Amino acid sequence: MDMSHHQKDLWTVTFRVFRQKGNAAGHYDTFKLEVNPDEYVIDAVERIWAYHDRTLAFAHACHHSTCGACGMRVNGVEKLTCITPIHTVAKNGGITQVDPLRNFPVVSDLVVDMGSLYQRMEQVGHRPVLPLPEEPAGLPVRKNNGNEYVRLSDCIECGLCISACPVALSTPGYIGPAVLAGALQHGIKAAPALLALVDSEDGVWRCHSAFECTKACPSYVEPGTKIMQLRKQVVGERFANLFRSNR
Amino acid sequence: MSTPTNQPSPKNWYKWFDPRGRDLGTWAFILNRLTALGLTFYLFLHLIVLGQLAIGPDAYDQFVELLHSPVFIFGELLVVIAGIYHGLNGLRVGLTSFGIAIPYQKQIFIGLLILTIIGSIYFGITMFTA
Amino acid sequence: MDKPHVIIIGAGFTGVAVSHDLALRGFDVTVVERGCIVNGTSGRTHGLLHSGGRYAVKDHESAIECIDENIILRKIVPQVIEPNGGLFIGLTDEDLAYGEQFIEGCEACHIPIEELKPQEALRLEPNINPNLLVAFTVPDGTFDPLRLALSFAASAKSNGAKYKLYTELKDFILDGLGNVIGVKVLDRTNNKEYEIRGDMVVNATGAWAGQVAALAGADVPVKPTPGIMVAYDERFCERAINRLCPPADGDIALPQRRMMVVGTTSYEVEDLDYVPVTEDQIELMLERGAELIPNIRKAKMRGAYMATRPLIGAGTSGRSIARTFKCYDCKETHDIEGLVTITGGKATTLRLMGEKTADLVCQKLNVSAVCSTQEVPLLSYRQFYTLPN
Repeated sequence: MDMSHHQKDLWTVTFRVFRQKGNAAGHYDTFKLEVNPDEYVIDAVERIWAYHDRTLAFAHACHHSTCGACGMRVNGVEKLTCITPIHTVAKNGGITQVDPLRNFPVVSDLVVDMGSLYQRMEQVGHRPVLPLPEEPAGLPVRKNNGNEYVRLSDCIECGLCISACPVALSTPGYIGPAVLAGALQHGIKAAPALLALVDSEDGVWRCHSAFECTKACPSYVEPGTKIMQLRKQVVGERFANLFRSNR
Repeated sequence: MSTPTNQPSPKNWYKWFDPRGRDLGTWAFILNRLTALGLTFYLFLHLIVLGQLAIGPDAYDQFVELLHSPVFIFGELLVVIAGIYHGLNGLRVGLTSFGIAIPYQKQIFIGLLILTIIGSIYFGITMFTA
Repeated sequence: MDKPHVIIIGAGFTGVAVSHDLALRGFDVTVVERGCIVNGTSGRTHGLLHSGGRYAVKDHESAIECIDENIILRKIVPQVIEPNGGLFIGLTDEDLAYGEQFIEGCEACHIPIEELKPQEALRLEPNINPNLLVAFTVPDGTFDPLRLALSFAASAKSNGAKYKLYTELKDFILDGLGNVIGVKVLDRTNNKEYEIRGDMVVNATGAWAGQVAALAGADVPVKPTPGIMVAYDERFCERAINRLCPPADGDIALPQRRMMVVGTTSYEVEDLDYVPVTEDQIELMLERGAELIPNIRKAKMRGAYMATRPLIGAGTSGRSIARTFKCYDCKETHDIEGLVTITGGKATTLRLMGEKTADLVCQKLNVSAVCSTQEVPLLSYRQFYTLPN
């Protein structure tokens, strides 16, 4: 084991990790690790797999908060583990608990099936790449040889917001914060077909203002705010429709 | 694959009331639900009381005497507190639903908690010393 | 006749690209991967869609592969790319001298570049080092690593490929003569072992290719070579910013969403499964990144991690190894039929690696099917989750 962190004192942290295989009931395994507290939680999980228990199943890909694969609950709080330093969720000599995200079916251990999220994002037509937003001062978007600069959108489909949402906890049909925020990308005016989907019992009106989604989001999306903005659009559109159909 | 656990389900309702790992917004959510249940329960009680009135003046007078007992006054105080909280948080939800003051929703919640506590103390004193 | 069944080990960039190509050519494909898609080296790429400029002086083969594939990827999978271009900036006299070779090299590799005066470059990218002496535009881009791979995998699935994630190779199944006829795997979600038979097995495990080949009694000259990446919390530029110098540590800073990622270093390891980050590498990236974009010193570090490249070559090491890829036919190298290995390469050339591997598989299985992946647009990456297995 290469531990070239000679400049930093190592901490001893006990990780309590959720395990589940097949149809067996879930349980917790504990692993005592010497960790560099500046490393990230995903590094600890990876080390548990590499050196302590090769049966541990967990998801991770980019390690720099662009893929959204490594979301987990650490001490009950949704975190993107690749950008969560260990010292923010652990104490030297303490216990840190790692669970899979809530509100998605558990595949095994720390892996959940986020198919429903991806399916719904597809339904609302969320575009993964967008032109840069306008400069705040209303300046025109900077051009790149006549083409607009484009940028990968903020939402990395990590599922943290859905895990944190109390309504998603109890309501399988609830579209969810990430998806409602995603629907706002087009907006109701540009995509009236979205209206039926979001102006529904399981759409914008399900939100009960806990704002846990905004708290959990690691990627600047602020889903709570977006849901409220979408509500305004929905109300505006319904109102306008009243006048349109009364001819 | 395996039997999925951890799925969204109405059966998870009791987990709403577990605030561990959660932020202030969940407290607002929890208290909103509890006060709503309390106020709804009070509504039914109120209807029963009015029902007593329909029976006759003696039955009603008997019932009104019961209402002066400390237990019932405390119950009414709880209703008042629930009403204050639920109304104020309702304002918070209403404001944010119109896109107003969303970045300050936590501060507004703390503010309304303080107002609720002040109201509780005020009405506690006035109701028990009346 | 039944479609021949190819088993691919590894769902990194190479595995997903091979699966897409073979599925398009009508093969029955099963991909086994011990983790999730691109959880090894591939996922951790900083996401540079190479123009090839970095290799234009010393490694023309890689450079030409890069620019050709760059153009193809922009066409077939634009939904995962920030196509904003790149700059090579020179800060010292050595850089200026290198610039001469750079111009020649890019010309020879048909990489379109344009020389800019410092003021012009600063107008395009106000946050680059104001003391730059020269700049060249290149057609770099940035891509999302996971979503690029998912796009290939989704397309493969739509043509019948099956993906078995969290399924770990335990052993090869050999016939009496030592040829590979299938794999023994462990489903890590329920601890059940089972067998999969196939007409050909493709070892697409990248940096682990040597370890995997050894299970069949073969070897592959792959040198696992990790390097660090550091992500910072602010997007200072719209373009990739490259140092105008020979390949070196910390020679690139590129934007991805609202971050900048600076990379990288290069050294060899034995133990692949976990490579720790070290403080000195983080400091080096800060130094080198700040030379390109001084404001990086003011930014907060968002993440730091290691990624292990599969470099091919016995003898030489590190940055002098060509960054191209190679297919190894185990029949040719070790007289073992039924197994081919594809390793080496760069993220940008994933489709080409898929093509060459699929060509080899077709040749070995006597299937005459031509590659069409350079034209076929890839499906939305989300279809990987919405299509049934």
